Amino acid sequence: MSQVREAKPHSVRWIASARAIVHLTWARTITPMLLCGMAALVLLPMLFALVFAASGPLSGDPVTFLVDRYDQLVVRIAVPILALLLGTSAFAAESNDGTLMYLVTSTTPRWWIVLVRMVFAASIAAALSALAVWGSGRIATGSSDPLGVVSAFTAASAFGAAVYAVAFTAVALITRRALVGGMAYVLVWEGVLSGTFPALNFLSVREWMLAIAASMTEATSKTMATGPTTRAAYIGAVAVTVISIFIATQRLARPRLSKTGS
Amino acid sequence: MTATATASVPREKSEPSADVPLSFSNVSHWYGEVVAVNDITATVNAGITGLLGPNGAGKSTLLQLAAGLQSPSNGEVLVYGKSPADRTSAYVDIGLVPEHEALPGNMSAHAFVAARAALLGLPDIKEATAKALATVELDNVAHRRVGGFSKGMKQRAKLAAALVHDPRLVLLDEPFNGLDPRQRVHMMRLLEARADSGAAVILSSHILEEIEGLASRILVMIAGRLAATGDYRALRRLMTDRPHTVHLRSSNDRALAAELVAHPSVVGVEIAFDMLMVRATDYAAFARAVGPAAQRKNISVFEIKAADESLEHVFAYLVAN
Repeated sequence: MSQVREAKPHSVRWIASARAIVHLTWARTITPMLLCGMAALVLLPMLFALVFAASGPLSGDPVTFLVDRYDQLVVRIAVPILALLLGTSAFAAESNDGTLMYLVTSTTPRWWIVLVRMVFAASIAAALSALAVWGSGRIATGSSDPLGVVSAFTAASAFGAAVYAVAFTAVALITRRALVGGMAYVLVWEGVLSGTFPALNFLSVREWMLAIAASMTEATSKTMATGPTTRAAYIGAVAVTVISIFIATQRLARPRLSKTGS
Repeated sequence: MTATATASVPREKSEPSADVPLSFSNVSHWYGEVVAVNDITATVNAGITGLLGPNGAGKSTLLQLAAGLQSPSNGEVLVYGKSPADRTSAYVDIGLVPEHEALPGNMSAHAFVAARAALLGLPDIKEATAKALATVELDNVAHRRVGGFSKGMKQRAKLAAALVHDPRLVLLDEPFNGLDPRQRVHMMRLLEARADSGAAVILSSHILEEIEGLASRILVMIAGRLAATGDYRALRRLMTDRPHTVHLRSSNDRALAAELVAHPSVVGVEIAFDMLMVRATDYAAFARAVGPAAQRKNISVFEIKAADESLEHVFAYLVAN
């Protein structure tokens, strides 16, 4: 009966299952509403840069402008929200409508499903965040990259987006209100608590992003000078990734499915 | 026997074994303080088994436990000797058709079934997908988005995804929902073919006529408990507290009624619409008595028919109990 029992090269099976997971993820993630949201978040910094560029010499120093916009608009808003949308959408939608069942009632290991989903969300979030930074930098400064600020923030935002996306993918399996949970982390933990208690900066993805940016550019700002070291940022990112994969794998073994039967 | 069917139906002992398609051993499952499944012990063997019960009886939860989507709060569920909740390899043998129309609407039927085939590690995804879609007669619309499908087509797409790996245990939760009569017949034949090939098929349905026509065995759940299990005609015979209603046609219904009323198993006779209706507590004893009674009065008996041995009656009696 079951043809699953027949042998097949492992690498081919892994690749085929990864493609299937990506296909299912793409089908659940890429909705018109999400596309509009992501496009807005990518275009918003570019819009600011366009206004800056249109104002000519009256606009002031491009480095100061870019560091401020990157910090306030990209690092604080665009990157975490992009990652939140991409990280939570697939698992959250599948849990709510029951289609997660088709992933978990398979012979594919749970950790592989989680890993492929995280790589998918992290890659797109990193690419879009990098595009938002690079695009706005090009618009504001032309082909030059004064003090390497555009390159630094492009790399840092890609790094931060990937870490956020990994963590939010796990959050989608932990709670039904993943969007609310993710927003609470970004707004309350990183926005309010980190500002009040500087020690919490070591547990803030935003601060890790700023630390990496600060290590790659000579441009400085107050926020870039007070965060954790790059070493702490990398260790934190690895820890978040490992913990997220572990928790998500455990949760996927006992999925919560809202609609599979009455 | 005067005990209720629930009490008189012997419970099966489950024997965890790699040969047993599905076994429940003292399985309970609760959501918070609500007990959905209460201490169920049963085995499901090859063939078609109907899972019956009123709404909220725990049928869907039982199927989810069998599919490993829920872990039992207590007890053990085994599919061919493996716990589906703990080992992904158990899904080699399991195909599940859920009740709800849960499908990724943006994908084509072909892409959806192919994704399932890939996730199940099939060696030839293309061939398995084409075969599964042809089996459910969706091959002509395989490249259309499932979001645009009718309810019946979605049901068949779910069935194709469940059968793509030729599972030995097929779990179906209300599979006939949304199917037109022709599609229902087709699905029934399909399930019969699966059972004939050695698979165990367990289906819950509120359409009793379909279960009656398909299932060789039923599991009846009431309020989370297993109320009865076995062949429904045998179950009916065990319900000695509920007299059997038997319809007879003969050459002289009045004389036959007078003769039969004296029999100890007969609790009532009635003549209506040119038919003799007898209520007997012991069906077998009554059946043995009819011939001699008719012979004594020189009456020809044209027809004897048990009037309340249908699955619908058995189910109604069990629920009433």
